[in-house]
Amino acid sequence: MDETMIEMHHVFKTYPSQICALSDVTIEILSGEFTFLVGPSGSGKSTLLRILSCAERPTSGEVVVHGMHITQPGFKNIYQLRRTMGIVSQDFKLLKDRTVNENVAFALEVIGHARKEAKNKASEMLRRVGLEEREEDTILALSAGEQQRVAIARAVVNSPPLLLADEPTGNLDAKMTVEVMRIFADLHQKGMTILFATQYTGLIKYFPYRVLQISKGQVLNGKKVDVSKVDEVKAGE
Amino acid sequence: MGNLFPNLITIGIIAISMLIFSTFTLLAFNLTNFLKTWEDKIEVIAYLKRGTPSGEVEPLLKKTRLLEGVEVVRYVSPYDAMTFMEAKLGRQKNLLEGIQPTILPPSFEIQLKKEYRNSTKIGEVVTHLKKNPQFEDIQYGQEWVETFSIGVHILRLTQWILGGLLLIAIVFITSNTLQLTISSRREEIEVMHWVGASPGFVRVPFYVEGLIQGLLGGGLAILFLFILHQGLFLYIPPSMQAWLARIPVVFLPLEKIVWILLGGTVLGFFGSFVASMRVLRYK
Repeated sequence: MDETMIEMHHVFKTYPSQICALSDVTIEILSGEFTFLVGPSGSGKSTLLRILSCAERPTSGEVVVHGMHITQPGFKNIYQLRRTMGIVSQDFKLLKDRTVNENVAFALEVIGHARKEAKNKASEMLRRVGLEEREEDTILALSAGEQQRVAIARAVVNSPPLLLADEPTGNLDAKMTVEVMRIFADLHQKGMTILFATQYTGLIKYFPYRVLQISKGQVLNGKKVDVSKVDEVKAGE
Repeated sequence: MGNLFPNLITIGIIAISMLIFSTFTLLAFNLTNFLKTWEDKIEVIAYLKRGTPSGEVEPLLKKTRLLEGVEVVRYVSPYDAMTFMEAKLGRQKNLLEGIQPTILPPSFEIQLKKEYRNSTKIGEVVTHLKKNPQFEDIQYGQEWVETFSIGVHILRLTQWILGGLLLIAIVFITSNTLQLTISSRREEIEVMHWVGASPGFVRVPFYVEGLIQGLLGGGLAILFLFILHQGLFLYIPPSMQAWLARIPVVFLPLEKIVWILLGGTVLGFFGSFVASMRVLRYK
């Protein structure tokens, strides 16, 4: 029997302004699954990912990630939860005053790895994302696609079983999007569970993984969809 | 280097705040010292009845020495009193010509223990002394002692109240300025939170930073205060210097300097602790 990585049961999220970001969301994602979370801007994708990473608490409902009941009252091990997941966002969140290697190694140093070990592991991860020759460059010297690859390397350098990606290709052109998607596909091949939020449905034509459709805070399905029936959001993709 | 500016601002504000507090401490210290010199002069003079037999003086002296609160008792005979008056009058001592020392009453000069040099306690000693019929009159400058006691009390109370208010203000200012330092690193902190750094790992460097900033701020405050203290004597007019010479304004002793440095360090730490509680919540 497959192990469950993410469980959300009847999750609601309403902001103080009475905006309902999530409404009765129930999903289950198995270990090793690659899942697209597809929906237009403002549909609740980011809120869902933020709840999974404990950056926000739901108004009601139950959430279990990697066996941790993160919505239980008194759950305080957020940092332990974060060590089991990598997070990638549209705006990369890289430290601009550090080199490529330092950015990746930083993720290991802050969880207690020795500097030399962290540097070596960062180099290895940067080789995997094809940036071995840019290790000592500063972040500002990189293209957007390269910066996103650094962000991915940083997110997965400590080999977390789960990767949450919030619009990771949102700022990239078509060529770079393909490059980045290949890295995600490679990580999935190696057994990583990936939840990939995007509004660009064109991606799922080329990478036919499981798709969760989200609209106005409601997850419409949890099964593979007929790509032709998904509304195109990004014209020309 | 990106953090240099907020760091300097924080150190500067701690230094200014601690300078205000240190200046106040220096003033209070010197004023207390000044009052202490007057405090040492508080004594009770008990005049014996003229013609008290010398055989009664010695037992009375012993009895007085045994009274609670009495430190030293000195018998002043009429001849001692005359000598003292002559010395006081100096060139004008011929005014005393023809006056017999015996017209001066013999007396006891009673020095009290430190804790008895206030109006209430002196009153207790005087009450005991008055029970002896050999004493004709007892003087201790009651009004002056009462004024002095109230003055000292008000000064010390003011020192603690103002000191406390200043400390609260310093913690508030420090915590707010330390938020500048923290916010200048918000990206780094956000990444730390993302990758699972423990709360202690994120916060401890800020606590250490607060400690160091507090220590440096305290050190700078002491340095500025020292410069001000030295400058005070360099730039005051000579006429005032002569007047001030009677009230020596000394610099803070080592013990107080250590307390101020320690205070700065603790405030820096406390400020960073409050700031981190406000802005370093795990997100």
